[in-house]
Amino acid sequence: MLQYILLRILRWTIGLTIVTFATYAMMYYGAGDPIKRMFIDSDDFDATDPAVVEALQKKYGLDQPFIIQFRNYISNLFQGNWGKSIRLNVDRPVWDIVKFRLPVSMQLGLAATVLAAVIGILLGVVAAVNHNRWLDRLIVSSVIFVTAIPAFVTAPLLLFFLVLVVNIMDVPYGWNGIFHSDVILPVCVIALGPLPIIVRQTRSAVLEVMSQLYIRTARAKGLSERSVILRHMLRPVLTPLITTLGLQMITLINGSLFVELVFNIPGFGLLTAEGIKTVDYPIIMAVAIIGTFIIFISNFLVDLVYPLLDPRLRYS
Amino acid sequence: MSTRTLTETQASQQGYESYNFWKKALRRFRKNGLAVAGLILIILFLLAAIFGPFLAPYDFLEQDLVNTLKGPSAAHWLGTDELGRDIFSRLLYGARTAALVAFSTTAISLFIGVLVGTWAGLQGGRIDEFLMWISDLIQAVPSLLLVMLINTALRRPIIGWFDRLYEQTKNPFYLNTSWLDFVLVFSALALVAWPGFARLIRGQVLSVSKEDYVLAARALGSKELSLMVNHVIPNSLGPLIVAVTASMGGAVVMEAGLSFLGLGVQPPNASWGTMLSNSLKLWQSFPHLLIGPAVTIGIIQVAFVFLGDGLNDALDPRRVT
Repeated sequence: MLQYILLRILRWTIGLTIVTFATYAMMYYGAGDPIKRMFIDSDDFDATDPAVVEALQKKYGLDQPFIIQFRNYISNLFQGNWGKSIRLNVDRPVWDIVKFRLPVSMQLGLAATVLAAVIGILLGVVAAVNHNRWLDRLIVSSVIFVTAIPAFVTAPLLLFFLVLVVNIMDVPYGWNGIFHSDVILPVCVIALGPLPIIVRQTRSAVLEVMSQLYIRTARAKGLSERSVILRHMLRPVLTPLITTLGLQMITLINGSLFVELVFNIPGFGLLTAEGIKTVDYPIIMAVAIIGTFIIFISNFLVDLVYPLLDPRLRYS
Repeated sequence: MSTRTLTETQASQQGYESYNFWKKALRRFRKNGLAVAGLILIILFLLAAIFGPFLAPYDFLEQDLVNTLKGPSAAHWLGTDELGRDIFSRLLYGARTAALVAFSTTAISLFIGVLVGTWAGLQGGRIDEFLMWISDLIQAVPSLLLVMLINTALRRPIIGWFDRLYEQTKNPFYLNTSWLDFVLVFSALALVAWPGFARLIRGQVLSVSKEDYVLAARALGSKELSLMVNHVIPNSLGPLIVAVTASMGGAVVMEAGLSFLGLGVQPPNASWGTMLSNSLKLWQSFPHLLIGPAVTIGIIQVAFVFLGDGLNDALDPRRVT
């Protein structure tokens, strides 16, 4: 058990180190010096004094060779210093920006996960109970549409429909806390990401469970259909779903990126897009490390929890 | 030899059809109406990509600054954008972008995936573990973030490389930077997509190499390469076709997504994603800007999913009876 956990931690730590190194290398050798890029982008590059460029490079430690820069970055990181933003939000410590942005996305993601789980399980059970009837067909085919159409298409189309055609709402814009009505549409669109897999998995799991003998026993002893479903069917269906939800983090992160862009929500996804567009090293590094860390942690938790939930799979 | 032909003729005379996986798969596929509809839509999409520029009523760059932001009319079927460009024509050119990205990305990632997957499956042991760990790692990183990073990182080196090529050859082809965006998008998407193919091929190599006929071929002295070509690849064709379809659909979405974020194919090249993100500023007054590209991406994606599901059902070897 302990060996299993330690081995997993070691694997993910090495993975995170590689991601950190690769991102830094990609930025250094590929994207190039952000100071120079800043002046090239601002049109009057020829007019700038090279001394200014050099002074700025020195200020941010960008005049050092790659290995030294990377070493400095890592040692600062271990002291909790994520560096300062170079272009996006000049000289503001990256952690201050992340500290503000990350909770926004986490609240959206959490709300979306809960919504997707509740609606997905409900739809999955309804579809399975009505197997091969029109309700089942309707649910299965609408799920195909939801799977196929990406968030950056769904969000504008829903906006168009709800604001211009039905006219029941104004355009949600920005971030006014998780309890403001503006979050309803963004949360719904993010929830559409993991929804299809939840519906499909619940449906097939319920179909499988329904043929089990203990369900027949439960019915035979006179339980109502409701308590057969709630007590005996849902438990074996829900355990694998927890792991599925854990593995859906990538969908959530990808989806929130587009949704935050469309609705202009200052979250982690928007920070990612802005950081990459302005080639702001420290922001990109922070976004890559934190984003990967979140995925790794959720995969790690899935690895840990899975054998606990399913006694057939003890640590091997 | 003669006995074999004899039995075959006898069999056909008696009305038995010789066993043919592909024929049966085709028959199963044709029965599936949604899958056929998906296939027809995808074929239309590819035709639009190839012949689009000849079919388009206007050039995709032609600006008509008098008729900007006009709604749908007889002259402009889907209206015009903020520069008076015909939206229908731009959608047709966007199909070309999307199809080009879909094909190239799939081809590159398939190539890398087949190489890595075969290597891992045949070698086994440490090499297998290492290669699969790398592909696990790539699949564990948020894919969109990785594509955006690679895209940003590759831009400058590729531009520098083209500049040097121009200096050496003086061929004006290398000055045309609109190709660069395509190269960038393919490479970034392929670098993220290959692990899926690698896993698939490795799994096939492992399962096929346990079969008795492969053992027999090995015993007869077949080399690894001929085992691959004669046994592993033909037996993996079904799942591979499904995976290729899914990968093309995925590449179309990713390209549109990247362009939506402003990191993909740059203007003046037409891309559905860019059209969609441009429309976000003006859609409340001019909804036709949004509807065209959004509905097009939606239809193509649904078509890819229908086609993929249909192929999956038709080519599933467990359903052969």
